[in-house]
Amino acid sequence: MKKIREFINKADIRKFRFWLQLFFFIIFIYGGYFAINLGNSIPVFSCGFDREVGGMCYFLPLQHQLARPLDVLLSAASISVLIGFVTFLLWFIVFNKAWCGYACPLGTMQDWITGLRKKMGIRFSTYTQPQFEKLKKIKYIMLALVILSPMAVGMGLLDREWVTAFCEICPGRMITPLFVGDISQWSLDFSTKTAMILTSLGLIFTGLFLIGSFFKKRFFCFFCPMSAMHYIFSDAALLKLKKDGDKCTKCGDCYAVCDMQIKDIADDVTSTNILRDDCILCLKCVAACPEDDALHFDILNMKLFTSTKGGFEKRMGMQTPKGTTNE
Amino acid sequence: MSSLQSHTIETPNEKQNRHKAMEAIKVLNTLKEGFKTPPKAMDYFYNLFEDVYCKQKALHDDKVKVGTMCIQIPSEIIYALDGVPIRLCNGFYTDDEIGSDFLPQKACPLVKASVGHLASKNLTDKPDMIYSPTTCDQKTKAGTLIASFGYDVVDVDFPRTKESEISREFFRRSIREFSADLSLKMGKKLSKKKLKASISKIGYAQSLYHRLSDFRKNRTVPILGNDMFLVTNAFFFDKIDNWIDACEKLVDELEQRVKDDIHAGGKISPRIVYTGSPPIFPNYKIPIIIEDSDAIIVADETCSSNRMFNDRVAVDEWFVNDMIDSLADKYLKACTCPIFSKNNDRIRRIIELVKSHNADGVIYQAFAGCTVYELEQRSVLEAMEKAGISILYIESDYSPSQQGQLSTRVEAFVESLKIKNRNK
Ligand code: SF4
Ligand code: SF4
Ligand code: SF4
Ligand code: SF4
Ligand code: SF4
Repeated sequence: MKKIREFINKADIRKFRFWLQLFFFIIFIYGGYFAINLGNSIPVFSCGFDREVGGMCYFLPLQHQLARPLDVLLSAASISVLIGFVTFLLWFIVFNKAWCGYACPLGTMQDWITGLRKKMGIRFSTYTQPQFEKLKKIKYIMLALVILSPMAVGMGLLDREWVTAFCEICPGRMITPLFVGDISQWSLDFSTKTAMILTSLGLIFTGLFLIGSFFKKRFFCFFCPMSAMHYIFSDAALLKLKKDGDKCTKCGDCYAVCDMQIKDIADDVTSTNILRDDCILCLKCVAACPEDDALHFDILNMKLFTSTKGGFEKRMGMQTPKGTTNE
Repeated sequence: MSSLQSHTIETPNEKQNRHKAMEAIKVLNTLKEGFKTPPKAMDYFYNLFEDVYCKQKALHDDKVKVGTMCIQIPSEIIYALDGVPIRLCNGFYTDDEIGSDFLPQKACPLVKASVGHLASKNLTDKPDMIYSPTTCDQKTKAGTLIASFGYDVVDVDFPRTKESEISREFFRRSIREFSADLSLKMGKKLSKKKLKASISKIGYAQSLYHRLSDFRKNRTVPILGNDMFLVTNAFFFDKIDNWIDACEKLVDELEQRVKDDIHAGGKISPRIVYTGSPPIFPNYKIPIIIEDSDAIIVADETCSSNRMFNDRVAVDEWFVNDMIDSLADKYLKACTCPIFSKNNDRIRRIIELVKSHNADGVIYQAFAGCTVYELEQRSVLEAMEKAGISILYIESDYSPSQQGQLSTRVEAFVESLKIKNRNK
């Protein structure tokens, strides 16, 4: 048991993550080819516009459901809405935001773009703290769009084009189908003025997605409404990111490696539950922390993966004076 | 002494060397003979200090020597540019007296000694340039004073609050400036490969320190606190590869000692965490009194030891600027120096050390004249009281007098810890 623990805590989390991400990418993007169907309440951006999708992003069905007229929404149909939601919740509650760090195809794509930048020897950019504080609110506005826009349609306040307004502007819609050779989403819809505006915005956001995530790690995730939605329920999740502030020296190593620039991970020494709304539960922070048990990833209060001196030294190439990292 | 034999008049420098050699050898002999047999691997360190301080042996003739006035100058960057960092903090009473001519009588002895040493120009490994972080008032002012002796001194801006985002940005820029300045002086570009290699090497050296410290968590403590101070002190000036080799041997030997149940202290020696103004060779006055009084130092929170090694750097993408930023953060955010406005981190560190090392009490030394440690005394004492940890506060300086009075106080404290342990 002790051996296994040590093995896990010294694990090269980058490799593990790379392969797991690839695995989920194949399941979600190409699942259709293997007759895999995990339903359509998946709590990440596994886009429903991909015709071979192996499990669909919850937002597509959600928007359609919410667009029903209010009386329908509150009658028998509410059962299906409820089932969809409960399924979403169950998926989410088990893995928490690890969905983002390990399974979301759109997240994985951003990591690949990051990898490309790294190969080209270009340094990443960061936001300043005040920028960060302002920008991070955008995802809640996006979430409001996901929920309120279809409801407004249901109430007859908006035209039908607004049902999937978020999908129209989501980069997932244009990019994901490309992986199965479908370019049909790459067009502007001139049928109505609204459709034209929304699809142009979609094109712009897709461009921003590609350029942004080249320079900024996980650029899109800052603005992602799914991440906002997760945060509402993350306290109930089984997997948790925990911190023991007494053991933290504020060295900032965790902050230095965090793709999401989460400052609390280093500076907050009082919270035990250290998962913040932007977190993608990638566990890079745990892997980079040099203090025994200061950060850990728990399931029901049992440590699955914890920061250790030994693990840190191994991962950072500090086990020998020569120093080679497993990067 | 040879000068006396040949009947020439002793020069001031020779006199200084002779006095310093006497101070050094006295402490070395105490460590070698005053306690239970030290680990064999300690011989390397005893000899090193004897060579450097009694025989004036220079270690880095062929290298550019970069003097640093405090721990906040990243040695990782200095090594990456092929320089050798030499920490100039000084512990000699002889130098302290020389320094008294330049600074107020009530100034901190460490600063006085460092200034005195530089004023004498009698240095075996004379720094080619000096970087002075603006930490405590006295160090900050000392930088300018030292420059007036003709040294090339560069101030490195250091913020005195560390919670704010501004301070993080500030120090990151400050370290970037520092590395640009040093790289200009060395006529070299800071390369990604070399910086990464030196971060790994220092990281490895730090891991060795961690391994040594971990042994002291055991019930059987295989090494004296005084010997550990000597080991960490050597890092101020030693050739890093030699230091690493010596520590590897020490790690192996201590491992064996733990297995053989060889305890460096007595049977019921109370376990002490040492904090406050840094003991710097040969000013081991208080640590020696403590371990002479049948207590054993199992951990410390000082800038000549733990604070220098505890925190290590992690980097995500290993680009030069990433590494510099991460280094800057480590040297600022993890630092528990009392010069900062708030001292919660220092208190947390002391409590954590007490817990992890199963200590019975804390001894807090402040140099008379070290305002920041004197100022922080109250809040630390209060916090320890709240945490139910016994603590003794003592003031001392570099002078060889008042030993007796200090011993009495330390002995009484150690006795009280023993009684407490018995009644547990
Ligand atoms: S377009 Fe975006 S929100 Fe809509 S289904 Fe695809 S990934 Fe989900
Ligand atoms: S935050 Fe990122 S990883 Fe998570 S669902 Fe959104 S796009 Fe995917
Ligand atoms: S890496 Fe660990 S010790 Fe350092 S700031 Fe983060 S949690 Fe604290
Ligand atoms: S806080 Fe940790 S787990 Fe969350 S995004 Fe940052 S590095 Fe990843
Ligand atoms: S001992 Fe105190 S006064 Fe002296 S240099 Fe250190 S912090 Fe400054």
